[in-house]
Amino acid sequence: MEKVLLRNIGVTDSHSLAVYQSRGGYQSWEKVVRNMKPAELIEEVKSSGLRGRGGAGFPTGMKWSFVPKDSPKPKYLVCNADESEPGTFKDRLLIEQDPHAIIEGTLIAAFAIQSHTAFIYIRGELVAGSKILERAVEEDCRAGYIGKNIFGSNYDLDVIVHRGAGAYICGEETALLSSLEGGRGWPKVKPPFPATHGLFGCPTVVNNVETLAALPWILERGAAAYAAMGTEKSKGTKLFSVSGHITRPGVYELEMGYPFKKFLEEDCGGVANGRKLKGVIPGGGSMPVLRPEELEKVNLDYESVQAAGSMLGSGGVIVMDDTTCMVRAASNIARFYAHESCGQCSPCREGCHWMEKIFHRIEHGEGQTGDLDLILNISGNIMGNTICPFGDAAAMPAAAFIRKFRDEFEAHIAEKRCTVSTQ
Amino acid sequence: MDPVKITIDGKEVVTAKGKTVIQAAAEAGVAIPHYCYHSKLSIAGNCRMCLVEIEKMPKLQIACNTQVAEGMGVLTQSPKVLAVRKAVLEFLLINHPVDCPICDQAGECQLQNYYMEHNREASRFEVGKQHDRKKTIFGPNVIFDGERCIKCTRCVRFCQEITKTDELAVINRGDHSTIALFNDQVLDNPLSANVVDICPVGALTDRDFRFKVRVWYLQKTPSVCPGCSTGCNISVEAYQNRIARFKPRINEAVNSHWICDEGRYCFHELTGGERLTTPMIRQEGGLVPATWENALQAVLAGLRSAKAAAGILSGRSTNEETFLFAKLMKKLAPSSPLEVCYQERELSETQKVLMSPDRAPNFRGARDMGVGSNGGYESLLQKLLTGDFSAAYVVGEELIGANGAGERLRAALQKLSFLVVQDIRLSETAKLAHVVLPATHFGEKEGTYTNRKGRVQKLNAAVIAPESVLQDWQTFLRLLDLAGEKLSYSTPSQIFQALAGEVALYRGISYATIGDQGIQLGGGGVEQS
Repeated sequence: MEKVLLRNIGVTDSHSLAVYQSRGGYQSWEKVVRNMKPAELIEEVKSSGLRGRGGAGFPTGMKWSFVPKDSPKPKYLVCNADESEPGTFKDRLLIEQDPHAIIEGTLIAAFAIQSHTAFIYIRGELVAGSKILERAVEEDCRAGYIGKNIFGSNYDLDVIVHRGAGAYICGEETALLSSLEGGRGWPKVKPPFPATHGLFGCPTVVNNVETLAALPWILERGAAAYAAMGTEKSKGTKLFSVSGHITRPGVYELEMGYPFKKFLEEDCGGVANGRKLKGVIPGGGSMPVLRPEELEKVNLDYESVQAAGSMLGSGGVIVMDDTTCMVRAASNIARFYAHESCGQCSPCREGCHWMEKIFHRIEHGEGQTGDLDLILNISGNIMGNTICPFGDAAAMPAAAFIRKFRDEFEAHIAEKRCTVSTQ
Repeated sequence: MDPVKITIDGKEVVTAKGKTVIQAAAEAGVAIPHYCYHSKLSIAGNCRMCLVEIEKMPKLQIACNTQVAEGMGVLTQSPKVLAVRKAVLEFLLINHPVDCPICDQAGECQLQNYYMEHNREASRFEVGKQHDRKKTIFGPNVIFDGERCIKCTRCVRFCQEITKTDELAVINRGDHSTIALFNDQVLDNPLSANVVDICPVGALTDRDFRFKVRVWYLQKTPSVCPGCSTGCNISVEAYQNRIARFKPRINEAVNSHWICDEGRYCFHELTGGERLTTPMIRQEGGLVPATWENALQAVLAGLRSAKAAAGILSGRSTNEETFLFAKLMKKLAPSSPLEVCYQERELSETQKVLMSPDRAPNFRGARDMGVGSNGGYESLLQKLLTGDFSAAYVVGEELIGANGAGERLRAALQKLSFLVVQDIRLSETAKLAHVVLPATHFGEKEGTYTNRKGRVQKLNAAVIAPESVLQDWQTFLRLLDLAGEKLSYSTPSQIFQALAGEVALYRGISYATIGDQGIQLGGGGVEQS
């Protein structure tokens, strides 16, 4: 499989403009500015089948086309570099080692919607990454890729790197925009949608780092080449962040549709230390965990994982072996969501902490019969009733752990301690 | 407006494009429970209490932010909706302190009300409630309890959007979220206590009313604020015949949903102090109690024999009282100038949202009745100071110390050969009088005020005056009778009917139709210099 996203990783000084240019960088950007119209650019990306890689999987070209072309308001392109999904570290790799691919993708996307100001919103904790991006932007300004009258075409574009302040919720696009506007990182009620009323009330598109990083390749090799990879509905390649009890953790690039089991056992070397697989989360901490027997027919694409009852999400693969206490794992994840809930709407604000507290007391030997069904009920009451998908993200894993490992939870409650052998 | 047809619970409703489901439902008489939604504030959509089922949409939608569309089918009582209301209430109650026995909001609390209506189940929460600051003073009139707060953000939006003073903000994250004063401010804008009205729970409560009386004991009477000539519509709420608080009443033509802090608490000053319950006449050694008969005869004699008399009416006198006062003075001292006590002051931008620059709620009505003119009160005071008058009839106003003229006015009043003062207490002005007559205050009056913009609005008596005290209009009628003009009015309604016959602007208005929203006069507003 030809690498699209990881093609520059591992090359010395891959983050520098000189190396990026020597490997063909910014030729796509030049082609777009000199030779393409926004409408044909949007069509090209639509035909590639590229879908958003932040977790939602929304078709990228279609998202761009929602921006009203004749609106008198300025348009904004925002690169969502707020990667915070538990178990996900693919964007960080690109930010630190291939920032120019991200920036070039950002520029191309900005051009597609005729934006003249693009923002890269990077999570506050990635201090080094933000400096790398800023330096890369400076290099581009000196080289004339960013700024006024780019390539003498009359097109102006400014890129601003903006650091967040440490909130998972700011990865949700409208919360990101609230934060970028200088307010609390609270998601906004929709409608209206960012495409028409986004940053400062202007038409805005928010794209994930990985999504944007694929654009230079797509423009260089053509939409058809990208669409030739992957499955019918999930085109191209995707990055997977593999962590946990696995022999070879790391970031992998796979063609969409690659068999999950094969990936874990062969490419990643199987469960570490010769232990047995107990459970694996396919797409980041907010996605339902899968038991080993559920992996038989699962391929790593959007449709296949969804058919198995989970979601591809951000591709954060978290591997758990048979020494893992699932009660503790669930409690851990519940604590994350309770901590990160923005607190704006009632079900999530109150429900996340409630679930965390129940998981906590189960884990510490004070669980009661009825606790499990209570958590399932609370989870069901949160799902679908919140302002943003955070509520769902908190509710799904809580319910999934209990449903998939009910016996273990019941034993933990009955015996007032963890019953998983750690031999 | 473009009409749009939707169905709500199977019933067809014609509404208009641009309305939200919650608005369309309210207009059709279907109540959808809600906390954060308020018709005068921006949409927050955070309480999730108004979730309803929209046919063909997979997820429930919040009614406050869903625009109506042709053919939309809304279900407000489906099993899914009833279940989610229960769930939202449960979420709001798990960290709620359930302070009801010590919380002023009890009896008018939307958590209590909706719980009784939509939940009624025992708590399933046993894992330790979140704690927050309790009884935290936010400002001179408002006190905050963080544990009771449901973070609906109505108070924050009020200070951002209505008063534009931005004192409040949400701080912290998740279930540590709480309301706080932003940037070391104090919640002291001129409309600050309105946040108490709009807070659906007991998180923001009124310091003045704190722990005074349970709201279900209050007797509530619709009336008009006597603070200034804006004429905000109020509910005067009393307990054991004493006014306990004002609450604003909704009138989109006057005050919308609001009342200013000065108006809200003005009843203390206007009704307080030791009450005058019997007429008094000056004899050697000072004022002594007298009978109504003797006192009224003395008034008649004093005014008739006066060389130059003046009449000063309170700006809080009703149209009915003013109408009779004018007739009386015309009879007893025909050329006497009659003025309403009227003074203007500078208002800040925030105050101007609601307040008028005067303290005379009925100066406009009084003018219509023939009492008062532009600049007239100032010039009358001047004439008083220069000794142009030998007699005066002062109704319902403390002149000494009221306007800075203070002691100079005292000296001038003392020089009058006849002074009659009609008031609820023995004011400094009254202590100088030759005859003192007890009076009623606004809370005991029935009648009408005409506000600055020419809206006739009705006052209703919220409390009963002491038995020996006559209504001001009864006093004027008795004086007129003794003076030879017997008018057979026995209610303010009859007086209004009479004045409507004599004052052109009021012709055609029937007292019975004034109702609790008032009637706008044809002439429109009046400018006061």
